[in-house]
Amino acid sequence: MSQVEYTKERKVGEGTYAVVYLGTKQSSGRKIAVKEIKTSEFKDGLDMSAIREVKYLQEIQHENVIELIDIFLAYDNLNLVLEFLPSDLEKVIKDRSILFTPADIKSWMLMTLRGVHHCHRNFILHRDLKPNNLLLSPEGIIKVADFGLARTFPSAQEILTSNVVTRWYRAPELLFGAKHYTSAVDIWSAGVIFAELMLRIPYLPGQNDVDQIEVTFRALGTPTDADWPDVSFFSAYNKLQIYPPPSREELRRRFIAASENALSFLCGMLTMNPQKRWNAVECLESDYFKEAPAPSDPFSIKIS
Amino acid sequence: MTTVQANAVNIPSSKKGIPGKPPNYKRLSDDDLFRHSSQYRFWSFTPEQLEQRRIEVNAQAVQSIEQDLRNFIDARSTELNEEEIKTIENRAVPVNMEEELKLVNLYAKKVQTIAQRLNLPTEIVATSITFFRRFYLENSVMKIEPKAIVLTTIFLACKSENYFIGIDSFCEKTRGDKEQVLKYEFPLLESLKFSLLSHHPYRPLHGFFLDIQAVLHGKVDLSYMGHIYDRCKKRITDALLTDAVYFYSPPQITLAVLMLEDEALTTRYLELKFHGNDTNQGNAEDEASRGNGNVTIQLDKLMKIVTNCSKLIEKPTTVPVEEAKSIAARLYFCQNPDDLLKKMKKRKADEQDSSVPVKKPKTE
Repeated sequence: MSQVEYTKERKVGEGTYAVVYLGTKQSSGRKIAVKEIKTSEFKDGLDMSAIREVKYLQEIQHENVIELIDIFLAYDNLNLVLEFLPSDLEKVIKDRSILFTPADIKSWMLMTLRGVHHCHRNFILHRDLKPNNLLLSPEGIIKVADFGLARTFPSAQEILTSNVVTRWYRAPELLFGAKHYTSAVDIWSAGVIFAELMLRIPYLPGQNDVDQIEVTFRALGTPTDADWPDVSFFSAYNKLQIYPPPSREELRRRFIAASENALSFLCGMLTMNPQKRWNAVECLESDYFKEAPAPSDPFSIKIS
Repeated sequence: MTTVQANAVNIPSSKKGIPGKPPNYKRLSDDDLFRHSSQYRFWSFTPEQLEQRRIEVNAQAVQSIEQDLRNFIDARSTELNEEEIKTIENRAVPVNMEEELKLVNLYAKKVQTIAQRLNLPTEIVATSITFFRRFYLENSVMKIEPKAIVLTTIFLACKSENYFIGIDSFCEKTRGDKEQVLKYEFPLLESLKFSLLSHHPYRPLHGFFLDIQAVLHGKVDLSYMGHIYDRCKKRITDALLTDAVYFYSPPQITLAVLMLEDEALTTRYLELKFHGNDTNQGNAEDEASRGNGNVTIQLDKLMKIVTNCSKLIEKPTTVPVEEAKSIAARLYFCQNPDDLLKKMKKRKADEQDSSVPVKKPKTE
């Protein structure tokens, strides 16, 4: 499994810890992406994000999670061979020439939640769900990608960092700086993504961390001890402006195309109290997926 | 869980599907999920497979060491006398599979000691031990000496478990050599087949601990439970130094540990769990099958597995220091026949001049 098996043809991206190339798997002619981890630049050896990515992708084989095809070492660099995924939901949302329907959105949400559910039932938190990390295969299949921030479910005593998830998709408990949180943070992100797909603009675009709190609660109401016991104990809570939660009617006006079941689905995912927020199974079993229109066949959705 | 609930939701035990779900509705069981884990795919074996693997790793190394020794002798055919050649042939004997295992066990214990001295959380100590032992299912101690890899396994285990310690501070605390620690990170990762997630039996312990209290509600002393919880944790860490980890799943190891700690309690718990008692039989059966995709485990089969597992855990893996030293010495001479000859010459000189005290060679 040396370099000869995989060629790197074109550089397609560069992040803080990796360079991504397009390539081909020689034995099969399959198109692949090679993520080359920059190792030499880290004095502490292998980078943590790279370790997380390897660790979690090794455990997960699922239709809706990016496939880690192989790993190899070459010239002191670690190379992850991933499936080639030409697009992502962010590109699709931003590309005004692409039209998509409520059935298409339902299909994407279904695939996303299946991938997320598989992570959760394997006790893995993704912690960075956003349209940009929901990649699309040439067949239109959604693949959850980028496990650089993932971790296993913590044990009860473990202290976590709340500085996870890209700002606009950050759950309220993270905005409050919670040291303990659950897979509910991923569901919140999925809810924000659902809203963004319907609106075709970011739903909660905070300009900084403080503004994010403001934007989130203005849109969805400030949580109170009544619906989220002891939420006021968070130190960030006392300076808050208290907004009432939106009425059903207000939500209907904001999401004009959404059915009642779609709104309930949205509210289930965007529930402030993480303990009351829907889990992945509740989302997947919601009436939204059972009512018409049926989710589109992924292959039939035009994404470019 | 409680009797109140049991009476309230006494579902008729006809197992004809779940209301509101399609007739063929089946959830993946935890066992199904475990079988997809890298721990099961790469690091679970039958005893025969495990032995075969160790034999192969050893045989390969023996072959290459013997070749090296032959080359060493051939290259010096004119300088070496018969006695010297004999010494090499007799003393620089590659270690066999059992001896390798003894060295690995000895150093695995060292990994544990060092990791604990660093005050690392239990899970990270466990991962360090696991990484170290897996490494020597892929490599021979004759190729990469255990001492060289000890610190790297701990260093990588910390990173892998989200417990970052910078290399400078790590080496300061362990008095390790930076370059040496980092040098082996890649080979270690590769030998681990890039699989870093290990399921340890501590989580199942927590689960069983809660469930025992629920099933034996009011019949078990809570402070006693706390006491055995801590003792079980220690036993689990010791179990990670045995081959039980390759043959049994983490919950099976946990049950074995519980059984060793308190056989009466564990047996009573399992019997209640599986067969219930007269008042809530239906409930207990539901509990046992729930979440398992309708797979019902047979209690007697489980008991057999758990008993066999506890026998393996109880077997001590400690190696007498003298024996380990002599294995390590042979290992050293295999790799450094030059030093063996020097030592021989020195001993001869010492014998001729007995006033010079005999100095032990450095073998480590």
